[in-house]
Amino acid sequence: MLLNITALTKTYTISGKLIIALNTVDLTFSENSFTCIVGKSGCGKTTLLRLLSGLEPATSGTIDYGKAAKIGFVFQEPRLMPWLTVNANIAFAAKNDPSLPAAPDEKLLELLGLKAFQHSFPAQLSGGMAQRTALGRTLFQNPDLILMDEPFSALDYFTRRSLQQMLLNLFQQQKKSVIFVTHDVEEALLLGQRILVMQEGRIKIDQRIDMEYPRQQASLSFQQLRLQILSAIEN
Amino acid sequence: MRTWKNGILLPFLLVLLWYIISKLQIFSSYLLPSPAATAITAGELIRSGMLWQHLLISLQRVAGGFLCSVVVALPLGILCGRSNSFQSYCWPILEFLRHVPPLAAIPLIILWFGIDEGSKLVIIFLASFFPLFLNTYSGIKGCDRKLLEVGRSLHFTAWQQARLIQLPAALPAIAVGLQLSLGYSWRALIGAELIAASSGIGYMILDAEQMSRPDIVLVGLFAIGIVGSLIDWLFLALTNKILPWNTETGDKYAA
Repeated sequence: MLLNITALTKTYTISGKLIIALNTVDLTFSENSFTCIVGKSGCGKTTLLRLLSGLEPATSGTIDYGKAAKIGFVFQEPRLMPWLTVNANIAFAAKNDPSLPAAPDEKLLELLGLKAFQHSFPAQLSGGMAQRTALGRTLFQNPDLILMDEPFSALDYFTRRSLQQMLLNLFQQQKKSVIFVTHDVEEALLLGQRILVMQEGRIKIDQRIDMEYPRQQASLSFQQLRLQILSAIEN
Repeated sequence: MRTWKNGILLPFLLVLLWYIISKLQIFSSYLLPSPAATAITAGELIRSGMLWQHLLISLQRVAGGFLCSVVVALPLGILCGRSNSFQSYCWPILEFLRHVPPLAAIPLIILWFGIDEGSKLVIIFLASFFPLFLNTYSGIKGCDRKLLEVGRSLHFTAWQQARLIQLPAALPAIAVGLQLSLGYSWRALIGAELIAASSGIGYMILDAEQMSRPDIVLVGLFAIGIVGSLIDWLFLALTNKILPWNTETGDKYAA
């Protein structure tokens, strides 16, 4: 068991109205797993991720970080420090963790395709390069679990495809666990071994996906699953 | 290069106009000396060392007052930006003082600090404090919440958040504050020297007026403008060197 959550609940009060963002959710994530969470906006998927990362406290319920001692977070936007070079941005976690090296090694830069840009500033990067740097910052921490909040949604189609491919390679080679929030069902089906559909703060569907990587979007089983999940989100 | 060439055109036309007016003797040369006469006076003032002497004294005063203001305004701005309770104590009095121009307080300042260096220092300090304080404050306060969240996801302590994220993020705003402060210092000093001083470039101008030497007044004006621009230019070159990612300084004007 990587991570276990029990009766996790999160409520907000917005102008006097109580909003239940997460409603008594129970989930278990296993090691070396790739989970995608999909759902309409406001369904609680980002809230779940933020609670797991500790960025926000839960209203009630518990999170048991079994094997997930170190958690990395990739945000929707790159959120790079504009005054740091690509190298320094990637190695930002070293400021708080003496066990990490002061700079990323060649292998990581090569994997991210940022070797030629390691001394550039964020303002000089394209959107895809900036997001790869942000991913590098998370990988650099060597986390057991990577939480990703719609990390590719602002990128163009081709950049998104290449980053999805990169993430899959990483997942297969480095045996990391990923929890990936997206509103894009195709993306979830391309990446996830397990898809959670959320609605109104609850898990509506918990679906295993057994297809081999790389997955064929044109295949019948892919399209059937896509329709099945889409209809679950819609209704 | 091209903008530099464009910028030369208007000054050239103005000098030409100045030359024509003085050539036609529309005004008496006691009121408007010719460009040539002014240039000769400038040469004399430079050769005798008088211009340098006054300039140096003025520059020393600016450096002293500006430094005092950096030492006080910078930490105060950071503290106010970081801590809401600290800000709540300081804000009303600062808000009040902000609206009092230092020149209005000159009679009192001279009464308290005399006409020596003390009063100049105080006037420069008062003039340069607010642009630096307010820019530092808003730079710290306006730090992108999303960047701070990155620090939290890396489990940074409050001190690390301030030192590694908030302060560097505020540096461009602080640089703008420093640049404005320097400009304010320079102008306030000239004002102070015009009112009470026995040396400095402002005094040189006042003294020339009393001796009916408009050529020296003009040389003084040119010197003030040139030195002011030079300080600004040097400061910009320095910030561009220190903050290479920065795009905020440069074209900010606030008078």
